[in-house]
Amino acid sequence: MNFELDDDQRAAAAGARDFFTGSASAADARRALDGGPVTPGRKALADIGFLGITVPEDAGGAGSNVLDLAVVAEQAGAVLAGPSLVTAARAAVLLADHPDLLAALADGSTGYAVLDGAAPSIDAAAADTFLALEDGALVLGSGEVTAGTPMDATRGLASVRLTSRRVLAEGAQALWARARDVALVALAAEDLGAAGRAVQLGVEYAGVRTAFGRQIGSYQAVKHALVDAWVGVEQLRSLVWWAAWAADSAPDELPLAAASAKAFAAETLERAAETCIQVHGGIGFTWEHDAHLYWRRAKVDRFLLGDEAEHLDTVAGLVLAGALSR
Amino acid sequence: MDFDDTPDEAAFRARVRALLEEHAAELVHLDAGEEAADAGEQEQALRRTQRVLADAGLVGVSWAREHGGQSGTLAQQAIVNQELARARVPTLINHIGLGMCGPTVVAHGTPEQHERYLARLLRAEDVWCQLFSEPGSGSDLAALRTTAVRHGDEWVVNGQKVWTTLAHVADHGILLTRTDADRPKHAGLTMFIVDMHAPGVTVRPLKQLGGQSDFNEVFFDDVHVPDSDRLGEPGEGWRVALTTLLNERVAVGGGGNDLGLSVESLAALAAERVPQLSAERQVLARQALGRAAVAALANRYTGYRRYTAISKGGLPGPEASAGKLAGTTAAKLVADAGVRLLGDDAVYGRGPDGDDGRWQRNQAWLPGIAIAGGTNEVLRNIIGERVLGLPPEPREDKTAPFDGVRR
Repeated sequence: MNFELDDDQRAAAAGARDFFTGSASAADARRALDGGPVTPGRKALADIGFLGITVPEDAGGAGSNVLDLAVVAEQAGAVLAGPSLVTAARAAVLLADHPDLLAALADGSTGYAVLDGAAPSIDAAAADTFLALEDGALVLGSGEVTAGTPMDATRGLASVRLTSRRVLAEGAQALWARARDVALVALAAEDLGAAGRAVQLGVEYAGVRTAFGRQIGSYQAVKHALVDAWVGVEQLRSLVWWAAWAADSAPDELPLAAASAKAFAAETLERAAETCIQVHGGIGFTWEHDAHLYWRRAKVDRFLLGDEAEHLDTVAGLVLAGALSR
Repeated sequence: MDFDDTPDEAAFRARVRALLEEHAAELVHLDAGEEAADAGEQEQALRRTQRVLADAGLVGVSWAREHGGQSGTLAQQAIVNQELARARVPTLINHIGLGMCGPTVVAHGTPEQHERYLARLLRAEDVWCQLFSEPGSGSDLAALRTTAVRHGDEWVVNGQKVWTTLAHVADHGILLTRTDADRPKHAGLTMFIVDMHAPGVTVRPLKQLGGQSDFNEVFFDDVHVPDSDRLGEPGEGWRVALTTLLNERVAVGGGGNDLGLSVESLAALAAERVPQLSAERQVLARQALGRAAVAALANRYTGYRRYTAISKGGLPGPEASAGKLAGTTAAKLVADAGVRLLGDDAVYGRGPDGDDGRWQRNQAWLPGIAIAGGTNEVLRNIIGERVLGLPPEPREDKTAPFDGVRR
């Protein structure tokens, strides 16, 4: 058994951390709420190669696997980067048979978004080309975009009504299901990064803020809340790695692993963000502090691509069908 | 990344499996939750089982050869544990000795003590127990008050221990005592190996919340312990005890294994019961099942990460404590989902229709899991301070003489 990242993946994580901390931030996420740009933005992500991680090399990508993408997505989540690698991961699966469309994904010349019916879709607000499943067929087209008032502007959420469509593949349900599961893995990975950062912010503050004559992190009430949030993050990391590994190496396990990771991610990020605010006290409830940006990400992500109730039900269905006894 | 054995591990596993098949007739086999008819017969059968396994080289795999082990790796020991579980061999009777007492004797014992005790421990010729907790000192272990007073070549022990697993069958125990109350609490302790059959040792089973007796109270009234059974130097008892506690951290929940009934047991129960529920109830039951399964899987895969670290030669650090915290949460979700699926039977100790009450018993075990092996609160302190780097609470009891601290 070898259930940990290898040296290359750790190096990739370190490189991604450098890139994202230099090109995006919670402060940017705050400015985006006032109409500022989503950072690093599509072009920068394309230039560093992150939109093409799972795009084959002959289509201009890196030809890497979902685990490699998850490692990078965690770092993107830590600084609330956008657009999301969820979109890149999902579109790369859907466009596997279309090298020209894949190339446009990897080089950022096309802004894709993947639609789930009329539901608000990730990165749709700034996209120009949409992928959808209609009557079992995978279609690509342009559309009329309606964005609501953003809660987390980095997600670029919008509803889209297709105004033109070209069928890329008939009978694409299985492909669509796999793409959605891979998207769940990427979303859980971004949530892992965001949750880890929220806990880290809380730990840092608890080490410097004093009350009643000592650092607040020395009080068990504060310490234990942070520990519980941290334990959740490490448990989530295991599910994300398992799900990413399953996407690459054990497709039969992917539905269980992906639903598990997404359900756990929703609750873990929410707990981490809420704990972060609580540990900060009043300052954590202000616009100027970063804590609410992680809280916003939590409150939005929990509903994207299905909430935890949906994914827990999926897990239950798979377990009842014998998924654990394989 | 993969979940496969390395070629070496696969070969080792095949050898273990073959040995277990070869000796199958000599081993006790139990299903989880099953209880033996006669306790005395069961004890003898369990001792025999461990002896057979020890003679086959399957006990103390990671112990050094000079101590009677196989000089194998922790990963090999884990493989043996997995194969024993697969073969439905119950927990080895000397699990406290193997997991906690033995490693402590190895680390701090004299060559004479190694010679005298370790081989017999591995073969369950002697069963061991760990005499640490007292009625007045559980989490605050270093506040213990059992005393040992030196008289020439002997020490005389008085006091009481509690929550002592296996004391009722044990032949030896490691016993933490206070030998100097004028020094600060951690500095006045000394560890001994005690003969559980010595005059003055009284063992009483402790009936716990669920009605079973898995633990004991142990009373020491003028019990004489030879100085040759002192484990480590006088006043060094805390350092010796830390070796035990480190090993306990690994033994209790560190491996990501299910604490209590497994999620597979829940899946089997759910497959039988969920279809009988109303549509509205099915929705709720599926949520509970899903939540329990996700928690158990998260804990299991986190255990695989620790296993990976161990198989590469690492030692479990304080982060292993997280396994017990997450394991407790998962176990509670599994237990609660299981009990709910029993319907009306959930309010009785066991069902009327031949149901063995295993879900009720499992539920009654859970409050203990959150306390045993370091309460979850103590574990949170350990993680908070040693993993997250948060400041400790200020304490006066660490430096003042033990007798001078208000208790």
